[in-house]
Amino acid sequence: MAAHTSKAFLSLGRITGPVLGLHSSLNRVTYATGLSGKADFPNRGKKPRRDAGKPRTEKMAVDQDWTAVYPAAAPFRPGSVPIPVRMGYPVKGGVPPEKNGNLELIKIPNFLHLTPAAIKKHCEALKPFCTEWPSALDTHGKCDEHFPIKMESTDYVSAGTSLRNPSARIVHLKVKLSSLNLDDHARKKMLKLVGERYCKDTDVLTIRTDSCPLKQQNYDYALYLLTVLYHESWKTEAWEAEKTVADMEEYSWEDSPSQKNILDTLVRMKVAGEGEGEELRQELLGRREVQDYKDSVTRLKNEGESENTMLQYREAVKKVLNL
Amino acid sequence: MAAPMAVSRDICSLARIFVGISQLGTRGLSACRSHRKCNIIRSHLPLTSSTFFHTGAVFSSTPSSITVTDEPDTLFQKVSVLVKGHDRAVLDSYEFFATMTAKELGITLGKVFEPPKDIDRFTLLKSIHIFKKHRVQYEMRTHYRCIELSHVTGCTAQVYLEYIQRNLPEGVAMEVSKTAMEKVPDHILQPIWNDKPTDNKPSQSEQS
Repeated sequence: MAAHTSKAFLSLGRITGPVLGLHSSLNRVTYATGLSGKADFPNRGKKPRRDAGKPRTEKMAVDQDWTAVYPAAAPFRPGSVPIPVRMGYPVKGGVPPEKNGNLELIKIPNFLHLTPAAIKKHCEALKPFCTEWPSALDTHGKCDEHFPIKMESTDYVSAGTSLRNPSARIVHLKVKLSSLNLDDHARKKMLKLVGERYCKDTDVLTIRTDSCPLKQQNYDYALYLLTVLYHESWKTEAWEAEKTVADMEEYSWEDSPSQKNILDTLVRMKVAGEGEGEELRQELLGRREVQDYKDSVTRLKNEGESENTMLQYREAVKKVLNL
Repeated sequence: MAAPMAVSRDICSLARIFVGISQLGTRGLSACRSHRKCNIIRSHLPLTSSTFFHTGAVFSSTPSSITVTDEPDTLFQKVSVLVKGHDRAVLDSYEFFATMTAKELGITLGKVFEPPKDIDRFTLLKSIHIFKKHRVQYEMRTHYRCIELSHVTGCTAQVYLEYIQRNLPEGVAMEVSKTAMEKVPDHILQPIWNDKPTDNKPSQSEQS
């Protein structure tokens, strides 16, 4: 290494003029030029290069401290790594080239500074800065119960002209609606306000904020949105009284065409055998078969058609109409 | 001349990692991103420890001193580290390093898996002018590795991530997604309309 640098300095010196610290070496150069012969072509006019000597690998003990040889990330040095490693495309009928003068081994990142012994040493030094996870929160259920709001954010590490990544500002806020204090009307209004951001299967509301340039701002904005949604859904506006049947989220059997139809049919069949009027209808409503019919129809409309629901509807209809 | 230079280089790098825990700390403080609350604040400089008043004893052997504060630590339900690189062997080694570090620091590992690689291919003209029939094709392969940690505290996550990121090899990129858990804020526990019904309704009717 040192020989290289001194050679470079010497050549510079000859072109531009003697460098301050190297007067003595320049004098040595002129003296050496006079003595060397034509056979010394590559090193003519330069200090004779001393021998490289034996590589350090031969002097290494088997039980040496490897963390001292490679304490930090460094390129591969064939003279410092006592392993006969070969790398590269093999010569025809031969083997991959050896480690001395092998560029492939220098190009690829090596983990010689991160051997298990080194990792253990580093972790021992880092241990005092770590804290323990609270032992009471061992299951996901307990975590959800005490800490229902989940804030997700992403950080990016990469090499480039800039450290910043604009996607790092995005924040997702996830919360289960069952953990918020909402009554029936508030929940329905919240679902209408939020629209697609709610997943029915998992009961999770996801708010994604990316409108502010900084992550902290987006985080505050997401919490602000949640607060506003919560308080707005508890409010009842005057125009909410105009909610029609088409706006309803769930099917309710009371005052529906199905109720009218079944009561009319039963009255026509003269099941009760008494006079007509409101009392008859009320009495019919109170009957068990009619209640079963009501349950089956509600279930069909809300959950959709499936084997179970259709069977239940069939049984209820048979009972009501005495088939 | 070569030997002393190498030794001094080693000493400098040693200083960077082992003795320079306090320096790690200072850089960590300045690089603090979303970790607003830290249970442990790393102190600045080791030599003038008398300027710091802290509850813990001053250890003369370790140059850095740890201050413990009462601020609640952030809790991460999941920390997902995705590393991307062009070479699968490098990612294998890095995964071994990251999983071993997690075990040494006592962090529970979730899934450690390899998402399928992406190959970007494109076809260019071989010559700068004409010869449309002769093209050359290039491809870029991106391999992935995902290491998920579960139930990590904010301080531990910061220590682990900083250590992992400082030892990220060249040519490898990383994305870290953290899921922090929080309590329901106090202003969302009860609707405010219950406290002041008279104030809000007239204002609503005015606006509507």
